[in-house]
Amino acid sequence: MKTARLLPLVPALAFAMLAPLAAGCSSDPVFVRGSEVKGLDDPPMSTGIDKRDMEQLLHENMKHLVASPLAKAWADAGDKPTLAIFPMLNETSQHVDSQLQAVLSDAETFMVNSQLVTVVSRERQNQMIAEVERQNGGQFDPNHAAQYGRQLGAKYYMTGKVYTSDERTAGGRRVQYFMFMQVIETETSAVRWQNKAAFTKALLNQD
Amino acid sequence: MRPLLGLRRAASVITFALGALANAGCAGHEVRVRDSLIALDRGSMDQAVAALDRELGVKSPGELPPVTRDEALLLLDRGSIHLAMGKYERASRDFGAADQAIEVLDLSTSKAADLGRYVFSDDAGPYKAPAYEKLLLNTLNMLSYLARHDLNGARVEARRLAVMQKYIESQHDEGALLGLGSYLAGFTYEKSKQRDEALLHYDEALEYAPYKSLRDPLRALTRGQKTTHEAVDALVEGAEPLPPVEETGEAELLVVVGFGRVPSKTPVRIPIGMAMQIVGNELSPMERREVDSLVLQGAVAWINYPTLGQGRGGYEVPKASLGEEILPMEQALDVEGEVRSAWHKREGTLVLAAITRLLARTAASVAVAGATAAGINAAQDDRQRRDGSAEAVGMLLGFATSLTMSALDTPDTRSWSTLPARIAIARTRVPAGKHAITLEVRGQRRTFDVQVDAGGWALVPFFVLR
Repeated sequence: MKTARLLPLVPALAFAMLAPLAAGCSSDPVFVRGSEVKGLDDPPMSTGIDKRDMEQLLHENMKHLVASPLAKAWADAGDKPTLAIFPMLNETSQHVDSQLQAVLSDAETFMVNSQLVTVVSRERQNQMIAEVERQNGGQFDPNHAAQYGRQLGAKYYMTGKVYTSDERTAGGRRVQYFMFMQVIETETSAVRWQNKAAFTKALLNQD
Repeated sequence: MRPLLGLRRAASVITFALGALANAGCAGHEVRVRDSLIALDRGSMDQAVAALDRELGVKSPGELPPVTRDEALLLLDRGSIHLAMGKYERASRDFGAADQAIEVLDLSTSKAADLGRYVFSDDAGPYKAPAYEKLLLNTLNMLSYLARHDLNGARVEARRLAVMQKYIESQHDEGALLGLGSYLAGFTYEKSKQRDEALLHYDEALEYAPYKSLRDPLRALTRGQKTTHEAVDALVEGAEPLPPVEETGEAELLVVVGFGRVPSKTPVRIPIGMAMQIVGNELSPMERREVDSLVLQGAVAWINYPTLGQGRGGYEVPKASLGEEILPMEQALDVEGEVRSAWHKREGTLVLAAITRLLARTAASVAVAGATAAGINAAQDDRQRRDGSAEAVGMLLGFATSLTMSALDTPDTRSWSTLPARIAIARTRVPAGKHAITLEVRGQRRTFDVQVDAGGWALVPFFVLR
């Protein structure tokens, strides 16, 4: 019977009409560990700075520092001069201050383990900054970095700035990061080492 | 005969089910924010946030939900209320999450969503924020960073605002320059001791409105020297330079008062004849003939589309005083004006889209009825027994199709509904020390105690969203 064969059309038709109603439904998200999902750290999830970017920045900068004449001089002298590590200035269009703190902590760890310098403890450094900047709410002011360095008795201080070139078009948003790191001699304010690391993050329309 | 009876029964059940589903179908965005707006009207901001939390599916205002579709809009609403409550960190967090989501939604495309927009409803696709919402998002977030004296965060928002302004200008959107954002960006850079950037943003702000409150700060910034910024030079022309507060031992106060609420979008039904008068000329001759035919048959009488409702508090004048002294306030931004201007540019397109969907629905209904009847008749031909039942079932399913699609045609009422209707500012120099600033608007009065050091500054926001 042809009529009988038409019957399946009815639910199909109903499904076609009901499908848009179900379109708003979505599945619930689940929490996962990095060890459970291979490549979890690989895909970028925003135009900010993530773990992989931090590793790249640190790797490039520290590799350059270790190969620099300054590091060679430190190694040759063997006197482990005192180094303070100051906050990095966020001149980007992204709220990445906490990620930059993490980059600095990684740099601090690297410098401690390098045995080339004696690193001033972060706690002592923050106390000094708070004392100098009491009138400005204790916030780090890069213009006063040399003053902090002198008061900490540091021979050198490491600091840096992160800039972005940020563009938006109808098809995407691209953020190019440029991270400059420097080691400055406190007494003379001479830049003894400087390097730039760069990377790009983007949100693109794939159509 | 039995299978045919079964088919009829099935069609009736489906029609009933579709009708029921259609009645319980997706409500527009206006329903999702209704409780929150009613609570704001009563002045209960806690309840307004709680209502939004329910819609967001979170248990507390401290939680951020996964943002997949229109949660970004609800976060914008919650962010403005947190700003009004003085919970600036929460406001920044909500605005930041919404900003990121809107960026993603803005660049997302979906063929299914496009089809849904064409056939079912304008709100079938992801929300695309209008220019003024994108600019005000960074502006209000800058305000919440400045309110807690976080110049680093405010500078990030100022940069984001500049990127968005540039993009919107490149799209030839007239809403690219909203003076308040540029004013606050100038303030942010001035207090960050970045004079050139400050002058650049103040110049942009002055292109939007001749802010008198900028005259003294610019007398101090320019120190009597010509700049490369025409609007800045014009404002300070003939005035003596003023020593900066760092030299005089004074401090600066900036007061920002947001009040009322922008008009929300509400769904309306208008007679098809009226819709044709609004946008009839935009339809092709064939489309016009189709509409005329449907009207003559009495098949359609109304179309659904969103419109702007009443704003609140647009003509209030806020009062500000510093101790006994009255502080002159000036309008920084007529947000309601921006909303209405942007809406008038889009209204015709929305009515046109509603008519196009009407035609699509009618075509789908006719197609379903025809195909069903033809299929059943083909089956009956075998037994040479055509009794007209096929046409009846076809009509029924065609009607069901049309009914379902009509019910799904929810007018797109999505918008940032907790934006203040207007924002006013006052800026003044004060001696270092403690000051009491009293602000009054829309029946609410509050006194803020502010402590400022010599050479320092404070920004006091006061938002009354009722």
